[in-house]
Amino acid sequence: MAAGPEGAPAKGGTLVYLEQQPHTNLYPPAGGFYPNGGILNQITDKLTYQNPKTLEIEPWIAESWTVNADATEYTFKIRKGVTFSDGTPLDAAAVAKNYDTFGRGNKELKLPISEVINNYERSEVIDPQTVKFTFRKPSPGFLQGTSVIGSGLVSLKTLALPYEALGDATKIIGSGPFVVASETLGRELTLKARPDYNWGPTKLEHQGRAYLDEIKYIVTPEDSVRIGALVAGQADVIRQIQAYDEKQVEDEGYLIYTPSTRGVNNSVVFRPDNPLVSDVRVRRGLLHATNTDEIVSTLFSAHYPKASSIIARTALGYVDLSSKLSYDIEKATQLLDDAGWKVGANGRRQKDGRTLELSAYESLPQPQNKETLQLVAQQWEKIGVKLNVLTADSGSAIVNNLDPAKAPVSPAMVGRADPDVIKSQYYPTNRNVLLQKGGNSDKVQSFVDERLNALLDQLASEPDRAKRLAVAGDVQNYVIDQAYAIPIFEEPQAFAAAPYVKGVAFEAVGRPSFYSTWLAPRR
Amino acid sequence: MSRYVIGRIGQAALVLWAAFTVSFVLLQALPGDAILIKFLNPELGLGPEQIAEIRASYAADSPLWMQYFTTATNFLTGHFGYSIHAGVPVGDLLLANLPPTLWLATLGFLLSLVLAVTLAALSALSPFSWLRSFIQSIPALFISTPVFWLGILLIQVFSFQLRLIPVINPGPWEALILPVVTLAVPISAPLAQILMRNIDHVLTEPFVAVARAKGASHRWVLSKHVAKNAVLPTLTIGGILFGELLAGAVVTEAVFGLNGIGGLTQRSVGDQDIAVLQAIVVFSATAFVLINLTVDLLYPVFDPRLRVRQGALA
Repeated sequence: MAAGPEGAPAKGGTLVYLEQQPHTNLYPPAGGFYPNGGILNQITDKLTYQNPKTLEIEPWIAESWTVNADATEYTFKIRKGVTFSDGTPLDAAAVAKNYDTFGRGNKELKLPISEVINNYERSEVIDPQTVKFTFRKPSPGFLQGTSVIGSGLVSLKTLALPYEALGDATKIIGSGPFVVASETLGRELTLKARPDYNWGPTKLEHQGRAYLDEIKYIVTPEDSVRIGALVAGQADVIRQIQAYDEKQVEDEGYLIYTPSTRGVNNSVVFRPDNPLVSDVRVRRGLLHATNTDEIVSTLFSAHYPKASSIIARTALGYVDLSSKLSYDIEKATQLLDDAGWKVGANGRRQKDGRTLELSAYESLPQPQNKETLQLVAQQWEKIGVKLNVLTADSGSAIVNNLDPAKAPVSPAMVGRADPDVIKSQYYPTNRNVLLQKGGNSDKVQSFVDERLNALLDQLASEPDRAKRLAVAGDVQNYVIDQAYAIPIFEEPQAFAAAPYVKGVAFEAVGRPSFYSTWLAPRR
Repeated sequence: MSRYVIGRIGQAALVLWAAFTVSFVLLQALPGDAILIKFLNPELGLGPEQIAEIRASYAADSPLWMQYFTTATNFLTGHFGYSIHAGVPVGDLLLANLPPTLWLATLGFLLSLVLAVTLAALSALSPFSWLRSFIQSIPALFISTPVFWLGILLIQVFSFQLRLIPVINPGPWEALILPVVTLAVPISAPLAQILMRNIDHVLTEPFVAVARAKGASHRWVLSKHVAKNAVLPTLTIGGILFGELLAGAVVTEAVFGLNGIGGLTQRSVGDQDIAVLQAIVVFSATAFVLINLTVDLLYPVFDPRLRVRQGALA
């Protein structure tokens, strides 16, 4: 977003940014957590830049690149003259070391591997400005993987630190337009612009140093205080505003930004290992009993589009599956009747002496997740199915959510603007939301879907772009045909900003970028 | 006297050890742990082998007794370990969060004392019984005011409407005004109640009648005879109220977005960040023990009768 009709961008000033939660560990692959991403996106640069509008990959720290035919070798030409804020050069050797760490992890330093880098084998420094990466298997998602928050490049000094030291933001040395100047742990973080920064994404209109002098991040957990402070002029941008607060902010003339997370939609998924939901007719019945229109209109706003596939319509490889996702109570009743679940004396569906009673644990990071699940429970109640919405401390919730017997239903979502995101979500050795055997849960008896896994493998390794997007379509169709997931809405990240804050931009999955942000005079 | 002190200190050490051990056992008994919460969290998307490696590198699955002794030894030598969630040493977290909480708690406690004494004095001096019973009902109102509601109300009125004190980016003293008031109001209530009840009680004692018979004024009786006697039980309650202060700080810090032990505790409980919680429990127990020890040692200073009894026992 450029200056446009507002005139030339004003330089200088401090942006006050209110964050809901303190950041956690700032090891770049942990940048998926929004508070972390909001900081890392200002202080680190990436090899490539994903244009948030077109989703095309554009040059940034890499001037150019070549990929071999089966996507097992990537060669990047690194821009000259780029330095980290500690003065060390960001050259091919530094890039190689970053990716060796992100791609393989580092056991001594306890650094885990990055979710976005699959099948990484090794790096090779060809000359000071050229680096080549080799993969064990085709990795067509890698190019996009070099553009994400989790692939922020950091100085060798940062990479030499153990994982336990990376929660201190001042230790994260990047090459980005801002540098961490000071931090009060859990409370406040000050970023200062780097005056010599001159290597922003090549195709961006704004080049050179950032317009702002300083960004102040202040952790303000209470929703009403963040909103009140914004409207009272004590803050300029706030993160996390619930749909029901949007009107109050807009009425005061303030702006709501809801960039899409462009990944797997906010959904409810089933764990077919649990015999109650192992029958596809039961799952399909529940899918047709779910009225997503009602959920979106009751709990959310126009910024939360109703889902029409398992991924967002702005995601790569999206196919429209609305016709398979209709709300149809009669069909739902029919499907459950066919599956042998008959309505008993108490109004609940029963079969062989068992009642169709399911449970799901609330997911705290998702917007109004408890309310969403409770509304789903009300809708399912109409066809005689009970859904218990459970809340627990994080430990119990995580442990129980890995047990298909205790959590046959679960909320799920993940953001990333590459079809690889679908594999991340469903593959047993990744996030494994369906709880297949061989993944992160030892409570699973037998459930494995070889067909799904084969499709996901193909998705992650098909080098031909057109074929890969076709596979992405196949996966979406398959997941919905099996009714493994009930997509609900396309989850945005919600921010609010004062009208004088110009040039607020977001990267492809909704993390703010303040590189081109500037402050117009307040009126 | 010295035997009394040594006994008290011995008890204090025992309490600290028990607090450490019980909290260790309870934290271990919880389902899941910080490593699980941190690394199974979908934001990292790690596979099972990677999580197993991480667990091994943190020695998370070594026998409990071994973890207990390692942790205890580390604590005794001042090593509190690392916060798995925040990715920083626990010592750094305490250092960043302790001073603000101490300021908040101290000032909150002082203000609550002022409030309590003012209320008690007003009630004792009020000439009408209806005014008296009105003043005496104020603590009940104070104690039933939810802290988060009061905090948000104060912010809305003084910061957002009247714009007197900014909540965001305030100066060091400005930052404390509203939180201290928020914290002091509910804390002052039990203090005021006890003070009022004691004043009423002491006023019925024979020595007060004697003083009155000698021609002392109501004011003089109150300040010279009643106040000193009424303050003793308040001292005990003051020690116990420290716990209330910490509990109040959790909410106050969350509402005002202040750095502090309260907010740290809340987050660490959510993440089961055991190293941090263990350190907080030991710190709180130490503070509790020290305050109660001080109170116990102050008793004989305030009350000569106790001094005599100690002497007789020695």
